[in-house]
Amino acid sequence: MAFVKPPVAQPHRDDQCLAPRDFTDLVAELSYPNPAARRWAARDLAAYPEASLALMACLKEESHPSVREALLTSLTLIGDEVAVAGLVDCLRSEQVGLRNEAVEVMKELPEKVAPIMENLLADENPDVRIFAVNILESLRHPLVERWLIDVIEREPHVNVCGTAVDLLCEVGTPAAREALTRLEARFPDEPYIQFAAELALKRLGED
Amino acid sequence: MQRILVIDDAATVRLYHRSILEAAGYAVDEAINGVEGLEKALRAPFDLYLVDVNMPKLDGYGFLQELRKTELPQAPAIMVSTEAARSDLERAYVAGANFYLIKPVKPDALLTDVRLLLGAPRP
Repeated sequence: MAFVKPPVAQPHRDDQCLAPRDFTDLVAELSYPNPAARRWAARDLAAYPEASLALMACLKEESHPSVREALLTSLTLIGDEVAVAGLVDCLRSEQVGLRNEAVEVMKELPEKVAPIMENLLADENPDVRIFAVNILESLRHPLVERWLIDVIEREPHVNVCGTAVDLLCEVGTPAAREALTRLEARFPDEPYIQFAAELALKRLGED
Repeated sequence: MQRILVIDDAATVRLYHRSILEAAGYAVDEAINGVEGLEKALRAPFDLYLVDVNMPKLDGYGFLQELRKTELPQAPAIMVSTEAARSDLERAYVAGANFYLIKPVKPDALLTDVRLLLGAPRP
C-alpha cells in the first residue's frame, strides 16, 4: 500500500496573487481566515467592475486594517454607482471609522459624487450633511464653493454651517463674503459661528 | 503652566478652542488627528486632552483607547462631538473620556469642565 502523505495546511504566500483566479474565486477568498488572502482578493477584485457589492459587504465586516485599505482602494478604482451608493450608506453607520473611510474614498470620486452632492447636503440627517461638507474638503470640483455658500445661506443646523465655514476659511473667495456676513446675523448667539465667520472674512480680506 | 492638547481635524475648531484656553491661561498645542495626537503625547505628555470624535486616520475613540493603553500618566480627557445621542456619550466614557461636550462648544462650558479637571491655571 502506497504511503499517502496527509495534506498539510499551507500558510498563505504573499505571491499567491500570481495564481490565476476568476471573479467567483476572488469573492470566495474575501472570506478566507488568512488576512493576506483577503487582502490579495480585495486588491485583485479592482479588475472586476461587478465587484462593488461584494467589496462593500466585506468592508462592513472586515476588521484587519490592511484588508480594509485594499477594499477601499479597489472601491475607489471601480468607483461606479454601486460603490458610491454603498459609501453613502456607510455615512449612516454607527462605526466612526467606517464613516470616515467612506468620506475619504468619496473625496477621490468627484465625477461620481458631484451628481448626488445636492441630495447629500439636503439629507434629513444633519450628521450626513456634515459628512457631505467634509467630502467637499478635497473634492476637486468647480461647484465646491457654490455648494458651501448655499449651505451657510440656507442650512438651519449650526454644526453643518460651522463645518462649511471651516472649509470656506480654506477654499473661499470674495464671493463668499456676503453669505458669511448673513450667517453671523443668523446665529448671533453662537460664539463658534461668530469666531469662524470672522476668521473666514479676515482671510478673504487678506486675499 | 498646565498643557492641553487640542485634537481636531478642523483647523478653525482647533483655533477656536486654542483661543479660549489660552485666554484663560492654559498652554495649548494642536494635533490634526488621533495619530498625531498620540505622537505628541508620547513625546511630551499633556495635562488634559480635548478630543474630537470624527477624525480621519484615528478617531477620538481610538485615540483615547490607545492613550489609555500607554504607560503615560492618565491625564483627563474631554471629548467633543456634533453627535448627542446617549450611545455616543456612553461610547466616549467607555473609551476613557471624563467629560463630553456637544459642538458648538460654548466658551463657558469648556472652561468649566477644564477647571473641574485641572483646577485654575497655574503659571
